[in-house]
Amino acid sequence: MSAILEVSGVSKRFGGIRAVDGATFSLQCPGIFGLIGPNGAGKTTMFDIICGRHVPDSGEVRFHAERINGVAPYRLAREGLARTFQECRVLPDETCMDNVLFAAQDKRLGREMLQAVSRGTAARRNTGAEARRLLRLINLERYADQPAGALSYGQRRLLEIVSCLMSKPRILLLDEPASGINPTLLNTLRDFLIEIYRETKIVFLIVEHNMEFIMSLASEIVVMHQGRVLAQGAPEQIQSDKSVIDAYLGQS
Amino acid sequence: MRLSYSLIVTVAILAFGALAPVIFKTQPYVLYVLTLALCYAIPVVGVNLLYGYTGLVSLGHMGFAGIGAYTTALLMKSAGMPFLPALLIGAIASGGVGLLVGIPCLRLRSHFFIVVTLAVGMILYTLFNNLDSITGGAEGLPGIPRPQRFSLGSWNMEFRSVSGFYTLTFIVTALVFGLQTLLVRSDFGRSLSSVRQDEALASARGVNVFAHKLTAFALSAAIAGVGGAMKVLFLRAAAPLSFELQESINLIVMLIVGGAGYLIGPLVGAIGFIALPEFLRAAAELRLVFFGFVLLVIARLAPRGICGTVELLFRKLSGKDASVVRHS
Repeated sequence: MSAILEVSGVSKRFGGIRAVDGATFSLQCPGIFGLIGPNGAGKTTMFDIICGRHVPDSGEVRFHAERINGVAPYRLAREGLARTFQECRVLPDETCMDNVLFAAQDKRLGREMLQAVSRGTAARRNTGAEARRLLRLINLERYADQPAGALSYGQRRLLEIVSCLMSKPRILLLDEPASGINPTLLNTLRDFLIEIYRETKIVFLIVEHNMEFIMSLASEIVVMHQGRVLAQGAPEQIQSDKSVIDAYLGQS
Repeated sequence: MRLSYSLIVTVAILAFGALAPVIFKTQPYVLYVLTLALCYAIPVVGVNLLYGYTGLVSLGHMGFAGIGAYTTALLMKSAGMPFLPALLIGAIASGGVGLLVGIPCLRLRSHFFIVVTLAVGMILYTLFNNLDSITGGAEGLPGIPRPQRFSLGSWNMEFRSVSGFYTLTFIVTALVFGLQTLLVRSDFGRSLSSVRQDEALASARGVNVFAHKLTAFALSAAIAGVGGAMKVLFLRAAAPLSFELQESINLIVMLIVGGAGYLIGPLVGAIGFIALPEFLRAAAELRLVFFGFVLLVIARLAPRGICGTVELLFRKLSGKDASVVRHS
């Protein structure tokens, strides 16, 4: 059986900087995976490459054995690759509910035109109920009809994650979900992610700097350093890995 | 709550519009001005779809209106085609030109795109002005026939008189606004809105940004074409000056004054821009000065136009959503 996500020998340079330099790793089975590394290790660039925002200079990315590097982001999204952004993006003018419904809708032009004529259906009501359930899970239900721009930063992050889930992804990439979230909300987020994982059994790949958070959440950790993959393994194994400790403490 | 208010407003506008020929029976001038305002409201709907919802500014939209206008006019005058098919073909023609122009232009971003639409508008105007054998050049196309009377059993409708043509324009405008509502309130409308708010997010969620922009551009050009066609049928002559750069800019001004991104913004803007100065008896030159001033005030004090200001006042008065900060 082929891996769900396989990154092999991927490189990307911006001018003179090698952001990603021959990174190789693979995610074999569903689970919560962490992607960590010191600042500038190339984690976000890696995400952008997986999601199609950047085209790698060399190497390839395979998703269920299918080569996906160089495929447009919107096509990958329709194939079930969802992501959140490090800087946290929601539609500020839409209500929370509309944000979530927007993520769930079929965005092929033909389908949208059909929908414009055919209007409400049973499927639509089901989507609405599911959206409400997810909003309740992260305590955003009472803001359902408020514009997303009025939410706090942490709440917007949660909304972004819920939106991603509504598109029924097969793999979900979260870029620093815990940053800017207060400790109480952080526990909500952890419980929420574990709950959702139990329900969906999809791949979560999470870039995170909050070690306590990611170590308690992930079943496997990938460590990047200077554009390469340094180590991959269970959290305990990573925490005692000499090269990882060196990378973080700056001896190499 | 808000839905029911908008329903009341819609019904009131429709009722007033439909009864206007009766109300202003003795004042054909009022009907004349209202018809002209509606002829402008239609292309402003096109601009609204593009700017208000998708976030793209086009400074050449009267050029597309001209394509629809000349196509419809020529089909009715030279080929003797009835009104409805001629109007539809005019809309398809302007939409098609919009599509062709959009394919290269929409690859450009923000102000580069605006500059190119400006150029397209000027090119189209030059074509109207110089293709003497087709468009009649600077003299234009005079003597465009009014639509034939429409009979259904013993019920007759004629479009030759001012009130008759007003009714026709009103029906077409209502249909165009209906189309706008249908599009904007659909999944397609939400995707367009997402493109305006955050392109990177839209594409990460599966929106084909280019295809959506292109569709919006073509639709908006087609709607503009309908407006242009109604205008030349009303004036019974097509002249290049009706479709020059200044007119394209007027469309944007009307939209911004009325309220971009509001369903009735185009109507408010067009009536405010065309009808009010006529009733205030301001001369054409003074109107530009007046509107330059109004635009300045609106841009400074009410960036969301008349509709946005009314909505804000309404919310404040009803004490709702006082804490909501708009991040737009």
